[in-house]
Amino acid sequence: MLQIVIYLSIAILLGGTIYKTVKISRMPIHLRWDLYPIPHEKGKAHYGGSYYEESNWWTKPVHTSLSAEIMEISKEILGIKSLYRNNRKLWYFSYPFHIGLYLLTALLAFLFLSAISNLSGVVISANAPNIFGRAIYYTTIIVGVPGWILGLLGAAGLLIMRLSKSDYRRYSTKSDYFSLILLIALLASGLYAWFSVDRSFAILRDFTHSLLMAKSIGVLPAAVQLELILVAFFFTYLPFTHMTHFVGKFFTYHRVRWQDKPNIAGGKIESEVAHALDGKVGWQAKHMRHGKSWRDGAVGGENQTS
Amino acid sequence: MAPWEAKIKPRDFGKRPGKLTELDSAGFLPLPPPYDKLESEPMIKPLSADQVARYECDLDGISAVSLPRPESEDQKRELIEKFLSGLKKLFNAQDNWTFLQPLYLTMEYCAKCQTCSEACPIFVESGKIEIYRPNFRSELLRRLYKKYVKSGGKILAKLSGNDIEVTWELIARLIELSYRCTICRRCAQACPIGIDNGLVTRELRKLFSQEMGIAPKQLHELGTVQHLEKGSSTGMNQLGFRDNIEFMEDEVAEKTGLNFKWPIDKAGADILLLHNAGEYLAWPENPEAFAIIMEAAGISYTLSSELVGYDAVNYGVWYDDMQFAKIAIKHAQIAKKLGVKKIVIGECGHAHKALTVIADRVLTGDLNIPRESCLTF
Repeated sequence: MLQIVIYLSIAILLGGTIYKTVKISRMPIHLRWDLYPIPHEKGKAHYGGSYYEESNWWTKPVHTSLSAEIMEISKEILGIKSLYRNNRKLWYFSYPFHIGLYLLTALLAFLFLSAISNLSGVVISANAPNIFGRAIYYTTIIVGVPGWILGLLGAAGLLIMRLSKSDYRRYSTKSDYFSLILLIALLASGLYAWFSVDRSFAILRDFTHSLLMAKSIGVLPAAVQLELILVAFFFTYLPFTHMTHFVGKFFTYHRVRWQDKPNIAGGKIESEVAHALDGKVGWQAKHMRHGKSWRDGAVGGENQTS
Repeated sequence: MAPWEAKIKPRDFGKRPGKLTELDSAGFLPLPPPYDKLESEPMIKPLSADQVARYECDLDGISAVSLPRPESEDQKRELIEKFLSGLKKLFNAQDNWTFLQPLYLTMEYCAKCQTCSEACPIFVESGKIEIYRPNFRSELLRRLYKKYVKSGGKILAKLSGNDIEVTWELIARLIELSYRCTICRRCAQACPIGIDNGLVTRELRKLFSQEMGIAPKQLHELGTVQHLEKGSSTGMNQLGFRDNIEFMEDEVAEKTGLNFKWPIDKAGADILLLHNAGEYLAWPENPEAFAIIMEAAGISYTLSSELVGYDAVNYGVWYDDMQFAKIAIKHAQIAKKLGVKKIVIGECGHAHKALTVIADRVLTGDLNIPRESCLTF
């Protein structure tokens, strides 16, 4: 039963996240709304420059640096750089919270790696004959336990901030509090289950193995059952909240703030814009020329202006 | 400031009677010298009792939009319906292809960390008046979007604590609030997630303009409409433009002894030079300097005397996609008609951003004429 719940929650998590990602990526091309500095502007990013500084820029190759863009977003993901620079008090909680979640994502990966390794006959334990088996065993502990502790401390701090500071409290809704309380419960239950019954992660490894093999598993200790139910609930809830901002952030940074690709005559952007301009105007104000195409609305004609 | 003013929440925005807040210079953040003597700065004149009775000013006692108060409940209902219809269009791919993606991201992913607040000059300089907080405006739109646009929104709004009721009082205040932001986008620059509260301001203005026909006179009638009909948002018509050019030619000759005609409407020139019309009226030495340098360098260029062709600004950037597109396309049409190879934009940061960057995804086919800054050509 627990396995079915976990299967369903993973399906909802993946399905919901993919649906949202596809939905955003299929939205029409938007007007340029870039914010400088743009890190991929090779040799110009450090002072906020761009290819527009070149004379006849459209006749020259635009030099970009993917590695600089990756480096900048890595600082944002791994260091939560903007928050560090602009809201240090919150960063002290947000940073351990996010690092905790990254470590727990790594824990999930190692649990699945353990299960897959098991299928190939690799034993995962402290005394495994294979060094790979021992490495996975210890790495699982190294990422899992600090992950829970850091995540828990960070989430508790974020909740305290939200409750104690009127700037946050005034804008917080029931769902904002619920998300944090759910995370605290989930992280605390994980830490408790590890501490009370599963210090070697053997139970979670066996459970992951049973998930991969679609095999039944015996009755799990209550602490682990609670942890797994909360995991399932969190996976189900996550796609419907702002907590999927790991998806949103890709688009806000790479598709809006840093999206400075020029519209070159005859190129793909031009054809996408041309398609959008052929769409009908639904806005009702007089100057919008309701019912015409955007192109016709914007290009001359009677009553064009007001 | 009354205690409740400091504690106002987004859900109270349409409920409170009368003014929500009042500007008090005692709370303003001091500016550095020579602007540190507030008493020597002109203060905003309070509205008269008659103006208060006639115009919506229940946000902060100021009317930026000069919006008349509705005369009847029926009129209020009609305006509310228009607002809700416009709200849905903001989130429709065909109606809002221009900004749907960044707006949707801003609605869905804000973590309400308030990092944007300290980056906002309006909020900070006002002495941190709550309703000017950049996220206050966005949170209002977010809650309206979640309740009135998303499916199942009305039930979910109650469950999640996002509930908000659309009333005319809320809309009237929101119209004014959308003009308490400079759209400088410092908030977006500071946001760890990339949420753009400046864009929210613009999208709200757009809803009011494109669906309800509501915009400040200075932006619409005296801005984009005047630009398209008279030729310039300054009100300078074609005759005025030609007169100014003659005056500047004479002035250059007087000051420097250089006696030459400025090229106007010269078909086949390499460059169409677009100045912001304010230069001709207020800072003629700038276009004069351009003319002298261009002449001395032997550059093939022309100015345009066509309507819109002698004013590079585009007020549509601030409030309306269609007005923005009309002006950008008109600039490109003039360049096409003259057969130039590129448009060069003179002194005006706003015009640079409008025509080189934002309009980049409006111009297609033979109107997709390269645009370049005067700093590089």
